[in-house]
Amino acid sequence: MAKSKNFTVIKNHILTGISYMLPLIVGAGVCMALGQVIGRLIGAETLEIEGSLPWVLVQIGAWGLGLIVPVIAAAIAYSIADKPGIAPGVIIGFIANQIEAGFIGGILGGFLVGYLVRAIMKYIKVPKSLQGLMPVMIIPLLSITISGLIMYFVIGGPIAYLQNSLIGFLESMQGGSQFLFGGILGSMATFDFGGPVNKTMSMFADGLLVEGVYGPEAVKFVGSIIPPFGITISYFLTKNKYTKSEKESLKAAFPMGIAMITEGVIPIAARDLIKVVGSCVLGSFVAGGLIMTWGVEAPVPHGGLFVVPLFTNPWLFMAALGIGSVITGVTLSLWKKQVTEEDEAFDEMESNSVDDDAIVFTVEG
Amino acid sequence: MKIVGVAACTAGIAHTYIAREKLMKGAQARGHEIHVETQGTIGIENKLTQEQIQSADLVILAVDIKIGGEERFKNKKIVRVPTATVIKAPVQFMEKVEKELSVSK
Repeated sequence: MAKSKNFTVIKNHILTGISYMLPLIVGAGVCMALGQVIGRLIGAETLEIEGSLPWVLVQIGAWGLGLIVPVIAAAIAYSIADKPGIAPGVIIGFIANQIEAGFIGGILGGFLVGYLVRAIMKYIKVPKSLQGLMPVMIIPLLSITISGLIMYFVIGGPIAYLQNSLIGFLESMQGGSQFLFGGILGSMATFDFGGPVNKTMSMFADGLLVEGVYGPEAVKFVGSIIPPFGITISYFLTKNKYTKSEKESLKAAFPMGIAMITEGVIPIAARDLIKVVGSCVLGSFVAGGLIMTWGVEAPVPHGGLFVVPLFTNPWLFMAALGIGSVITGVTLSLWKKQVTEEDEAFDEMESNSVDDDAIVFTVEG
Repeated sequence: MKIVGVAACTAGIAHTYIAREKLMKGAQARGHEIHVETQGTIGIENKLTQEQIQSADLVILAVDIKIGGEERFKNKKIVRVPTATVIKAPVQFMEKVEKELSVSK
């Protein structure tokens, strides 16, 4: 129990980091992509001209994206140590960037700083007259120096090495292995409709995005959108296989899908878990594989179909999405059974369909 | 019971608000009075008032991330739960909370 609680705490810190990073990555990413699109429209050579509108837009985006690692490090440190974590967190993130330890370095650096600041606050006692120096001088100085040295001399090197070899490995992949890799990523993105497996895949893709590898991010898009689209197709193929309330859920799930929010399909998946998950994963596997093989890339981490025009090869992306959704829809329609009265009754007990042990919370105070 | 709550998810655009709605539905179904604040990417909405917090018997934090202003709930009984749990089974969650609290009393 204690172990799983620690895990939750760590997960919370990472999620806090991501929640502060997301608006930055979306804003800067879209700005950069916008510059590229405008540049392509008015002539690709403008992208090379310093001071031209497309060039400046791309610059703004690039400068913004350069802050991702400091921001995630600072947010994680803030989540752990509150306000005193922010300043050293920004710096450790910047260091991680400089020594090419990147995204992973930023996350670990954030944890390092956060716990270090907490330890300093706990163990270092100063006379009352110097109390005022604690937050403005002692904590920042000590935490920055110690964590900076550790980052530079101890953990930075190995992380940079790991990161570079991972990227090298991804870039060297071709043909079949590329398809397989995309397929696995796509399946992960779909598998639990926005749950922990999806979030793990999502973090992996975001991390690579920061390093300038954009393929997995496109797979994330397709894997997140296929379930609502595929199920909608299946509904129109075989309406008699869906209950009234599933129809209602679908009305919300489909527009949510356009915005890349998968969770809308959960109520529909709940009644027929294996069949729905199975057919969605199948569709996403194929689509993810196609995306990696076709070289579709997404320079932004979120935004649903609205940002697809900013992708490399947007039409191929739409093709992969269409193929995957149709596979999901047809498979599901063939697999699903006709609705019976019992099924309609299933919807009534909506709130009591969960195993009691699955409801976990902590009580404090 | 009188309950106050905070809902906050990672992206802060969808689940935060679904969690708020479900939490209110679940609590009301069990006959409690509840106020829920959201801390999405847009910032704090439906901010809890001092009186609401003061008169509350229980604080429910349906949060996946660190939230702002947690010190407001000092010395209160706090239930901490992921947004997903509240969204999945709001009524069942409330029932289990009631059971847990009456045991630990």
